Amino acid sequence: MAFNTEKNNMPFEVKDCALITRMGGVDTAVNLRELRERISVCPQACLFHHFSETLVRPTFDDPEFRNDFAVWSARLLRDRVLAERLGILNPYSFDSLEQLREVVVDIIDDRLSELPFIPSVPIGDDFIFMQAATVVFDCGITLERPEDLVKVFPTMSNSSIYYHFIEARRRTEDKTDDFTNWMQGFGSGCEKLIDAFKNVDFYYLTLPELKKTLIKALNPFMLKSCDE
Amino acid sequence: MYRDVVGDVAIMQLQELAEDLKGAKVVHVNSTRIGGGVAEILHWLTPLMIDLGLDASWEIIEGNEQFFNVTKSFHNGLQGNRVALTNSMIEAYQETLVENNKRLCPILENADYVFIHDPQPAYLLSLCPQHKGKWIWRCHIDVSHPNRKVWNYLKNIASHYDASIFSMPLFAQRLPHPQFIIAPSIDPLSEKNCDLTQKEINRTLERFGISKHIPILTQVSRFDRFKDPIGVIEAFNLLNGSVDAQLVLAGGGASDDPEGEAVYQEVLEAAKDDDRIFILKLPNDAHRTINALQRASTIIIQKSLQEGFGLTVTEAMWKSKPVIGGNVGGIRLQVHNHHTGFLVDTPEGAALRMRELLRQPDKIKAMGKTSKSFVTQNFLLTRHLREYLTLMLAFRRGLENDLISV
Repeated sequence: MAFNTEKNNMPFEVKDCALITRMGGVDTAVNLRELRERISVCPQACLFHHFSETLVRPTFDDPEFRNDFAVWSARLLRDRVLAERLGILNPYSFDSLEQLREVVVDIIDDRLSELPFIPSVPIGDDFIFMQAATVVFDCGITLERPEDLVKVFPTMSNSSIYYHFIEARRRTEDKTDDFTNWMQGFGSGCEKLIDAFKNVDFYYLTLPELKKTLIKALNPFMLKSCDE
Repeated sequence: MYRDVVGDVAIMQLQELAEDLKGAKVVHVNSTRIGGGVAEILHWLTPLMIDLGLDASWEIIEGNEQFFNVTKSFHNGLQGNRVALTNSMIEAYQETLVENNKRLCPILENADYVFIHDPQPAYLLSLCPQHKGKWIWRCHIDVSHPNRKVWNYLKNIASHYDASIFSMPLFAQRLPHPQFIIAPSIDPLSEKNCDLTQKEINRTLERFGISKHIPILTQVSRFDRFKDPIGVIEAFNLLNGSVDAQLVLAGGGASDDPEGEAVYQEVLEAAKDDDRIFILKLPNDAHRTINALQRASTIIIQKSLQEGFGLTVTEAMWKSKPVIGGNVGGIRLQVHNHHTGFLVDTPEGAALRMRELLRQPDKIKAMGKTSKSFVTQNFLLTRHLREYLTLMLAFRRGLENDLISV
């Protein structure tokens, strides 16, 4: 398989990003009712952080759920039912963070109505609301044609892949990744790779896993490159 | 040299981030150049910032015994201990900083970024009204449950800063400015963490009469009740010979700490009839010895009853060791049951996990591999430096944005 593309697009500038986390400016939550109240008023940046930026935050952990609300529910509130309901949410499937917020609050309301008590945690196990600033910087690498992805992809950092493949969905109009957006500007030959990228269920993967999956999607093109 | 450990990408990230900060005047201020975790950090942070093209410098404040007694009270008070805070103490504190300010003010007022480490130099901001740069209070202490009187005084000072940095969200206090989180890190090339030859490791074991053929369980910590050394011995005794093992409790010298000496004596007493237990009181600079003991160990124990971040846990994980740690503080962030070790609340829990691991060498290996990978990716000094650079860039481009292009 090979790309059969005519260049009719701007070069792709490879970027990378770094995160600095900060307190979310919202009180901590020591029980499920407080969590619900805080989520309903916290800045959108907090929601985005706890759902999406968990992947790029320094951690010693590889939790079973991708968002912090589900992890807290499972580990500290010890409510696996709630954890699973929150854990399945994919923030990129919502039109906006406000819509995501509504759904989260709704799930918690449902859970509160099912329980005969308000689950709480000991002091010190509170849910702490955080947010982050992402600084985006140039890697000094420019791709002229989709074929160049084959060579560059394996050398990209996890945070660079996060920025172009995941974070892009909050920046782009059609909520897609930067690679797909770029490749769409080329002629035939890219559709299969675009489809392969589209089929990656990225939200449930760690960044190293995501990188491996994307490289696997690129494999047919890599083999061709090697042959040449 | 760091490139060999962290890889090209991590170094490239630092270089790219620093590009926009080249020439920026950055001043770090703390109260000592030798000893303690803050000085250790500044010993690598300042030169690395310079290597990246920033105009970074490190200043220290000077003070007499009375000043350091007051700041020691601040330190203890911030950690929640009951301490006295009198007007004369405040006067002694402020007067010392007024003296220091005569020398430091021209440097600080011209800086683009001033990082004031811990409470000792914090009052300097009030003395530099003409400053042009951003002042950031870097608090390395857990201030989650401070003595109210001490905190009220220091909060008033800290509130005037442009931002503060804490090591963990749990350690932070509400302040009227952005509070950033930068977790600590370890230096992989330092004496305490660099690679050692098997010969050097073996020599260290020989020096203390520890067998290299029998599994070693090691806790590295000061002789302090909060580190629960007696609990570790209890846990070891509960193994009751069911698995062959040796226990090493290694800690820094405590001759200047009356309570530390008392705890050391208790530990000696608790271990006196057991030749499988080694109590090692080491000088504060015995970094290579500690490194060798950690590397020779099969499992690392950190059964603290109260803990800050717990960098000894990070150090153990860097050396691919599983950790049996107390279910407290930063240990909880680092140790995850069945993945990187076990969290325990009792000597019984520690004994159970010691036995479980000692009987499953494959598990030890797998946990060690996972642990090293987490530390390599997230807890080496390159990540720490990257976050400082990111913070400065975020300031430069406006903190109201959560996505900043440079």
